[in-house]
Amino acid sequence: MSYTATYRLGTRLFWQDRAMLLASVVTPVGLSVGLPVLARHVTADGVAAATQLSQGMASILLSLTAFMNVAVALTTRRDQLVLKRLRATGLTDGQILSGQIASTATQTVILIVLCAVAVNLLADVPFPANPLVYAGAVVAGSVVLATLGVAYTAVIPRTELAAATTMPVFVVSAIAAGAMGPIREALPAWVGSVLDLLPTSAVVHALRTGEVALPALNLAVWAVVGVVAIRLWFRWEPRRS
Amino acid sequence: MTAIHVEEVRKRYGDFAAVNGISFEVAEGEIFALLGRNGAGKTTAIELLAGFQQPDGGTCRVLGLDPARDRAAVRRRTGIMLQEAGFFPDLTVAQTVDIWRDFTAAPRPRDEALELAGLVPKAGTRVRQLSGGERRRLDLALALLGRPDVLFLDEPTTGMDPEARRNTWDVIRDLARQGTTVLLTTHYLDEAQRLAASMAIMDRGEIVASGGIAETLAARSGRVAFRLPPGTAPDDLPLPVTLEGETAVCRAADPDLAAQTLLSWAAERGLRLAGLEVRTATLEDLFLDLSRSAR
Repeated sequence: MSYTATYRLGTRLFWQDRAMLLASVVTPVGLSVGLPVLARHVTADGVAAATQLSQGMASILLSLTAFMNVAVALTTRRDQLVLKRLRATGLTDGQILSGQIASTATQTVILIVLCAVAVNLLADVPFPANPLVYAGAVVAGSVVLATLGVAYTAVIPRTELAAATTMPVFVVSAIAAGAMGPIREALPAWVGSVLDLLPTSAVVHALRTGEVALPALNLAVWAVVGVVAIRLWFRWEPRRS
Repeated sequence: MTAIHVEEVRKRYGDFAAVNGISFEVAEGEIFALLGRNGAGKTTAIELLAGFQQPDGGTCRVLGLDPARDRAAVRRRTGIMLQEAGFFPDLTVAQTVDIWRDFTAAPRPRDEALELAGLVPKAGTRVRQLSGGERRRLDLALALLGRPDVLFLDEPTTGMDPEARRNTWDVIRDLARQGTTVLLTTHYLDEAQRLAASMAIMDRGEIVASGGIAETLAARSGRVAFRLPPGTAPDDLPLPVTLEGETAVCRAADPDLAAQTLLSWAAERGLRLAGLEVRTATLEDLFLDLSRSAR
């Protein structure tokens, strides 16, 4: 019963949904491994470029595997009235959502770690200097992004629009972390400062610098934003028209 | 002991009063039917009692608890068969029951739940391939998993074939015999009559008849209609009829028996009852009666 049951359910459905796996696993893992490997072999300062890029790629996994996946999955379940049925069980609302968040976050952490191992083997990207900070940033980032994904369902009108509605978040996070090449340098400085406030940017910053305080503060603020937004606006059923 | 207590409960959606000051009580172990057409407010009433919605006014109590405030506690002791709720389409029936067992404290074994709902042959079928009636039965299996003290059934047999309906009725009766309190909504008059110890009739968010009155209304809503044979007056007939144009209409609890009486009366006199029509009561007949009696 309780958290573990919804955690297991979330995990099972994550890996069973083949259509979603392409968007939330194959694409981000392909990019996170493929681009650093490419950079390693085509640029002059290969290892440094691959390392820089690989750290930035965490933003793609966070925004696709954690944020988009949970937003699409919960919107679908909301519109199929499965969430309503889950609420008819002995589970509390908190158990349903936190089990789902924990499950999504776990899959995200696993994929980020797998990608780190892969780029180490294939592109000589060194393992993080401070594994503890690395682990903390990845876990906290995954949980916060999954929480924000749950909150984000409130603005998604219906299932067919779910993936499209989450795309801007993915694009902006990727640009902010430099995962989409040097687009960021072409933008005005103030835009860069705003982009640094994104939770994905905070995680990438922690991965690159090993810094703890600022990223932790950033993620804590976003976590509060996510939880408050869920409490205020999360919908368990589609809107009655 | 009162298991369900509803007093002057109201719920509005915008300008629309879905439930407008309803009151009723259901005793422990009783089967109570809320009878009404689509849009009468039956589903809203169930959703208020199950804690899905919060009433705008009035009092709801289930097992002495406020379902909106103590939802978790109420949920642990209730089972709900929602009229509209989804399943995971790619899971099989057995997988669905297993997952729901995971969510339930001290659940029934999977096979027992499937057996109760008559779904054993469908255990390996994916939910997306089930018929409407089979989905209702899966719904019932899930509602019964936690051996609830109170069972809310929203239109439990809609879409079921006659055999499945009868089986479902048997299951509901058995549960009530074992002490489960059942609140069911239905638009089938016969379902309410066969199952429920007491009933209330809802229309446009209000209870328009309840208790003995509702039962009496439901009981006399069977209908036998025929063209009055030439040369006969309504008073000649062995049963009281009303005239609707040239058609004589006889209302009776058992329309088959009434038709037999009328036919043998006609046969003795060598008369023919042209255009004979025998119908068991429908909710529409009942509402017609209600509006007549209101006039």
